[in-house]
Amino acid sequence: MTKRRDIDALRNLSGDVWNVAVDEYQGGFLKRRDLLKYAALLGLTGFAASQGLGGARAAAAAGGTVRVGLGQPTKAIDPVSLTDPASIGVISQVGEYLILDDPKDGLQPKLALSWEADETASRWTFKLRPGVKFHNGRAVTGRDVVASFERLVDPASGSSALSAYKGILSKGGAKLVDDETVAFDLDGPNSNFPFYVSSDVYNAVILPADYAGDFEKNFNGTGPFKLESFRPKQGASFVRNEDYWGDKALPDRVEIKFFDDEQAQVLALQAGQLDVIPSTTRLELAIEGNPNFKLLSVQASSHDQVHLRTDQAPFTDKRIRRALALTIDREAVVKGLLKGRAIVGNDTPFAPIFPSADPSVPQRKQDIAEAKRLLGEAGVPNGFEVTLTTERAYDIPDYAVIIQNFARKAGIDVKLNVLPQDAYYGSATFGSSPWLDSVLGITDYGHRGTPDIFLNATLKSSGAWNAAHFSNPAYDALLLDYSKARDLQAQRLVAGKIQTLLLDETPAIISYFSQYSRIVSSKVEGVRFTAISHLLLDRVSFVQA
Amino acid sequence: MLTGRILSARVGTLVLTLWLVSILVFFAGQVLPGDVGRVMLGPFADAQAVAELNKRLGADQPVLVQYWLWFSKAVTGDFGTSLSMRAPVAPFVLESLKRSAALAGIILIFLIPLGVGGGVIAGLNAGRIIDRLIVMAGVSFGIVPDFVSGLMLLIVFGLWLNWFPISGVAPDGAGFWTHGYYLILPALPLVLNLAGYIARMTRAGVIEAMAADYTRTAVLKGLEPGEIILRHVLRNALTPTIAVLATQTGYMLGGLVVIEALFGIQGLGNLVLNAAKARDFPMLEAGVLVMAAIFVLSAAVGDLVLALLDPRQRRRTSS
Amino acid sequence: MTDLTESPAPRRAVAGFPAVRRIRGAFPGLPPSVVIGTLLLLFWVVCAVSGNLFVPYDPYAEDFLATLTPPDALHWFGTDQLGRDVLSRIIVGSRDILLVAPLATLAGVAAGSIIGLVLGYFGGLTDAIGARLLDTLMAFPFIVLVTMTLVAIGPSNLTVILVIGIAYAPLVARTVRAAVREQKERDYVSAARLGGEGPLAIMFLEILPNIRETILIELVTRLGYAFFSIATLSFLGLGIQPPSADWGLAVADGYGFLTGGKWWVVVFNSAAIVSLVMATNLIAQGIGAFENSDA
Repeated sequence: MTKRRDIDALRNLSGDVWNVAVDEYQGGFLKRRDLLKYAALLGLTGFAASQGLGGARAAAAAGGTVRVGLGQPTKAIDPVSLTDPASIGVISQVGEYLILDDPKDGLQPKLALSWEADETASRWTFKLRPGVKFHNGRAVTGRDVVASFERLVDPASGSSALSAYKGILSKGGAKLVDDETVAFDLDGPNSNFPFYVSSDVYNAVILPADYAGDFEKNFNGTGPFKLESFRPKQGASFVRNEDYWGDKALPDRVEIKFFDDEQAQVLALQAGQLDVIPSTTRLELAIEGNPNFKLLSVQASSHDQVHLRTDQAPFTDKRIRRALALTIDREAVVKGLLKGRAIVGNDTPFAPIFPSADPSVPQRKQDIAEAKRLLGEAGVPNGFEVTLTTERAYDIPDYAVIIQNFARKAGIDVKLNVLPQDAYYGSATFGSSPWLDSVLGITDYGHRGTPDIFLNATLKSSGAWNAAHFSNPAYDALLLDYSKARDLQAQRLVAGKIQTLLLDETPAIISYFSQYSRIVSSKVEGVRFTAISHLLLDRVSFVQA
Repeated sequence: MLTGRILSARVGTLVLTLWLVSILVFFAGQVLPGDVGRVMLGPFADAQAVAELNKRLGADQPVLVQYWLWFSKAVTGDFGTSLSMRAPVAPFVLESLKRSAALAGIILIFLIPLGVGGGVIAGLNAGRIIDRLIVMAGVSFGIVPDFVSGLMLLIVFGLWLNWFPISGVAPDGAGFWTHGYYLILPALPLVLNLAGYIARMTRAGVIEAMAADYTRTAVLKGLEPGEIILRHVLRNALTPTIAVLATQTGYMLGGLVVIEALFGIQGLGNLVLNAAKARDFPMLEAGVLVMAAIFVLSAAVGDLVLALLDPRQRRRTSS
Repeated sequence: MTDLTESPAPRRAVAGFPAVRRIRGAFPGLPPSVVIGTLLLLFWVVCAVSGNLFVPYDPYAEDFLATLTPPDALHWFGTDQLGRDVLSRIIVGSRDILLVAPLATLAGVAAGSIIGLVLGYFGGLTDAIGARLLDTLMAFPFIVLVTMTLVAIGPSNLTVILVIGIAYAPLVARTVRAAVREQKERDYVSAARLGGEGPLAIMFLEILPNIRETILIELVTRLGYAFFSIATLSFLGLGIQPPSADWGLAVADGYGFLTGGKWWVVVFNSAAIVSLVMATNLIAQGIGAFENSDA
């Protein structure tokens, strides 16, 4: 336990909201790491840095070329419209955000130096880092930052971040205060707003105000590397940015190669032609036990949501929904399907990594007898037949097979309909999308820094991704309470109620939260990445053989 | 002249076929679910942003208008701008064509000596052990799907023995020979697949030619065996083989999706596959048209070869 | 393959119809290749029909404690990434491909034969237009056809049958059309026409029986290619879908493990695919289909 004097020192750092967190920390409810993460959210960046966050910088040798394998970007690389992990991996070499959401250390100031909210948390002010230059030599000003966010909330710009900002930030909300200060007037109070200007919204790269959508021409950003050459569909290479505002990158160069086939990447890695590749469970099995490679993982809030259509037979009865959820042995799924690189989920988007999640809500466990009892109560003692529709991506087809086998134990006969990704999402609107229309389906959701978007979009009655067609006034009301809650304790109180309600209603089964991994050669050290595919290579060094 | 007539008829056919193919691609594309904007921005993007993007790309206009806009430009040689890559289509297609052609070239370099040579040896030694061995080997390799043989070659020669790079793409600035070297491993599965087939064709031709009257006459005239084989047997036996090779080349320039994926070669097959997935209509049209043109042309070349080299076939081809 | 060398001379006597001779020549002493091929094919058919009765394990039951175990006394062919018994999966894995491939081939050959009959018999403008359309279909890249159909109507066994059928129909039609044109000049056709038979009757009752060897050879050859194509489609993720124990799917799923020394999934499943293609090829070869085929 930290000494009394240190606690007092902590209290002096900020106001009430902060002090509640310190109380929790002192009382043992909040882990030290969570406290530090919370400090960053409030803009207490100096405190976080003084605690040694931002990564210990071991003296490592500069030089060398890092060779990276990535998937094939699905379209021209443009920070404003990108959606795919490969493009995110590429832009993280050259582009930067106001804040980096580091999976280990939480929010890290990058182009923003510090930030603070007004009393209602509906106006946030960001101080910008002075002396930052774009790769073409021009200095970054508040105008560039305002333009970058105005672009993202403008439907006409082809921005794919529009849905992330819906109800939070609208056109005209970003305002220039002076050359080094920017303010955001939000659509409503939001105490988690710093996450929305962080790398969590991967489109929020700070670009020049006069950016014309032609990113591939020069990859003009502020990052530690700058473009050397780019060949569409083939790959790209980057060299150290000697004018970088922070510590200069250690490697001389980064070489990225695009692959259409994931397994071709592991072959190239094994042949010594690559140093870093994305990871999937299958690829991990290929390198398992091989000392030449290592698997780096960070815990994420990414999960595969199994939705149960609450407005269609057989899932109109919540007992039947609960019964299906009870058939699943979550520990087995985590151990077997995900090789232990995941944590068990409790049918709620509140992943244990979110500080606001209430850990006291009991974990749902496999209970076939109870499942059978519920089915009997609901009038289907011998089970029923249902089709599980999903996409052929990642481990999802295997997960579907596992659900099929578990469900059989309670007499539920699950038929599988595995579609290609395109076909599963269809036109992504109700009525013409197997994703949103199927009675039972599995959808993969990538990592987010806060549970907000999962809670709002996938389960609120008006949610755009509400595949469960869940319409529960009590839930919608709790959600409102949650977004208004200003301190952690208040948030956690509402979170507990939401978690309990979701367990009772079970509009969705979330049986695990996966880790995000990369496979790297043992010859390289210092590869860092976020849970949404940013690949940070500026601290990479080579182990001398 | 007969050949001239065949030629002009062929060109007319080619143009007509390509036009029909372009219509087919376009209207087949209309039945695909989702639209360009949705595919580009992803399932989780806001509906308004998707609508704006579709408008900007012209994907919101009536189907016939879209086709006419594309067609009126395409006839002037302007194949438009790729929707997903936001750059003119032509360089992408040419680049892929070049890579596919390089791969096809390497395949032919190995395939012709192996297939034709094996077939001639087998045919001349028909019924003997060597003939049976060659035919057996050809059949055995011919029945292994290219993804299986490709994988095995990759593992054995790329990974274990380290004789060949496991990628089909040479680094920037590599010379001619290096590029060829990188393509050997990707070429081999197809060589193995087709060598048996080509050998069987050649062998049958050789056997038929050996039994033919003109060969008997040549033997009776007392010509040297070597000369008989070269002037009479091979000339007649190889004609169908060449025709088949021409047809297969059409397939090699676009049908090698598996090999392209395994070895990371951005060839025509991959271009078209990805364009279809991305609903990138201009790219898809251009890619498919190039593939169709090559297919029709190579079939035409095959027929012409038959017509020119083999008088017996002339009547049949012109019909 | 041996008969080619033994009797080149009679071949010229029935010029243009070597197939007829070949089948006749094949039947008196059934070539060993046909016997082997048929037995192999029968083996897989038995597995497909009743394999679930004699599999050592439930082919769909995963066992997380025994994922990717090498072949041993318990699991002769090892287990896959979900701990499922590879031997059991290979036995039942023949089911989809043995259902889909013959149906797809039948569909393609039936459609192609009808088109070929009509075009070949009527000739003239019908034939000219039809031939152009066939050219168009053949020039249309197979992979685009597959991708579009799959995305449009979703992958299923039916989709694969449809796609392969559409791809094969023009190829078969071309061969049948040529055969019909040759038959049309024969006396029996003119006789039938003079006898007042309608075009339909002539096509299907007179000509069809006379070209059945051509069609049969098309059927067997195309079946071999169908096994090949369907396995490739599965490998690309465009064909038969999980949780089927299909071999092509298993190879696609397992090839990443290969480099880690986990060879059993890929090797045994590949061998199964190869054995099936080999079986058809042996049969086709036995009845002399090889020589007439082109890809």
